[in-house]
Amino acid sequence: MSQDLLKIRNVSKVFSLPKGGELTAVDDVSFTVEKGSICVLLGPSGSGKSTILRMVAGLESRTEGAVLLNDTPIEGPGRERGMVFQAYSSFDWMSVGKNVEFGMKINGVPADERRARAERFIGLVGLSKFIDTYPSRLSGGMRQRVAIARTLANEPEVLLMDEPFGALDAETRWQMQELMIDVAEASGTTMIIVTHDIEEAIFLADKIVFLSSHPGRVKEEITPLFKPGRLRNKEDVIALPGYSELERKIMRMMREEGHK
Amino acid sequence: MSNAPAGRKPRLMQVRVPVSRRQGLISAFGIWFLFFGVWILASSLGWVNPILVPPPGQVFATIIRLFAEQDFGSDVMISIFRVLIAFALACAVAVPLGVAMGAFPAINAVIAPFVSAWRYLPAPSFIPILLMWFGTGETPKLALLFLGVIFFLVTLIADHTREVRKELIETAMTLGANRWVTVFQVMLPAVLPNILIAMRQMLAVVWTYLVIAEIVASTTGIGAMMMRARRFLHTDEILAGIIVIGALGMAFDVGFAYLHRRLFPYLEEKR
Ligand SMILES: Nc1ncnc2c1ncn2[C@@H]1O[C@H](COP(=O)(O)OP(=O)(O)OP(=O)(O)O)[C@@H](O)[C@H]1O
Ligand SMILES: [Mg+2]
Repeated sequence: MSQDLLKIRNVSKVFSLPKGGELTAVDDVSFTVEKGSICVLLGPSGSGKSTILRMVAGLESRTEGAVLLNDTPIEGPGRERGMVFQAYSSFDWMSVGKNVEFGMKINGVPADERRARAERFIGLVGLSKFIDTYPSRLSGGMRQRVAIARTLANEPEVLLMDEPFGALDAETRWQMQELMIDVAEASGTTMIIVTHDIEEAIFLADKIVFLSSHPGRVKEEITPLFKPGRLRNKEDVIALPGYSELERKIMRMMREEGHK
Repeated sequence: MSNAPAGRKPRLMQVRVPVSRRQGLISAFGIWFLFFGVWILASSLGWVNPILVPPPGQVFATIIRLFAEQDFGSDVMISIFRVLIAFALACAVAVPLGVAMGAFPAINAVIAPFVSAWRYLPAPSFIPILLMWFGTGETPKLALLFLGVIFFLVTLIADHTREVRKELIETAMTLGANRWVTVFQVMLPAVLPNILIAMRQMLAVVWTYLVIAEIVASTTGIGAMMMRARRFLHTDEILAGIIVIGALGMAFDVGFAYLHRRLFPYLEEKR
């Protein structure tokens, strides 16, 4: 399969603890992400989801294994792997517009093109009215959308998101999930999204990588085959035959992990 | 109370509810009225020895006389000059060094053990050796002021830089920023408001060392004037000096507050 944009190969991460001793957070994890697809990392707390994502981003070193992007091993962070964090990450001293332009600016995109692209992506996340506002005046959900627009406008090959909607209220969360489907359709951006929201996982994923905890291992790769391609409306997905079956299966897996 | 927020019992003491502008002004002036009231009362009723505690009227008359007749203006100017030069030098060293320490643990590992030892040495303990090294000119005074704040300033700025949120730095790096872009375009602007606050705090300390330097080893400046006045039991001149130093300190503080608002408008919008 030469379609695989990203290959995670036998990756392990062992943290050495400050008090001495070691902790295996990720143990021999392998999976691949097809170009243009949405891969969801799902699993209980402590299963190494964030650690895996950070290793793909190049923000965390690997103890073993390799991460290949287009068959080239990655070493360190780079613009082709954009990341959206769960925590607040706006540059407070810049307007929303300048925040979104930042990545393009440091990568040498000319000013007028930068502005145009920023406007387009700010429009896409529904913040056109706030382009000249400072992020500190926005709500948590709006700031998260700024962060998403900032990363998308930089046109990464892979978009990495660590529980990006965790802090949002139910309605905004839902809007953002549908926005991610729109973006994936429109730009063909490959995504890895970390979540522990089962509904979100099933709605977004072309492939779910379910991780078990302590140490983090791939327990099962799930392809939600019941979905006929990508559906934009969440309620349509939930109404599909096969949805609740998959939801139950994942819930059972979660419960098993919890009892470990 | 006319502008008490609806739905809240109007009370004088509210936990963390900001006071109105009017209440703020009344409170601020009130405390000073009380202070001078007690002072005037104590003087006019003869509770205190007028030689040791002259009445406020006399002190203010002395301030005017000092400026008009005794060239106090040049003493004040030389004091301000010493503070500004020494402080500018301290900032010129502390800002780059502190930011570099906060950004690069490798630099911190070298500088921090050195700086933290110096921090516990009281700067005035260097006065004798500074006088021996630099004689009696401006250099030993500037050196004392510089030594008095530099180690604190470096430490504060390094700490603030270290507190720049990891998410900002990692966001920059995943957007394609190299180390220099990360330091200069993300960490530095992120920490700048706190650097200004650290400067504001440390400038007050510079004034403290200024007076020490001028009392111990100077014939010019506000502190030296006060020491001269002591010899002739001119308590009014000593108090005049204290008031002028207080006023100058406050003026600089207000200046910093204004600068902070002007440079960082985005911080105010948080409220
Ligand atoms: N910097 C670190 N030092 C030591 N241990 C760490 C570090 N980061 C993570 N860990 C440990 O690695 C394991 C996996 O952590 P990770 O944050 O990747 O889990 P997660 O699946 O993202 O969990 P959550 O759903 O709670 O975010 C945990 O046991 C955690 O304590
Ligand atoms: Mg996590």
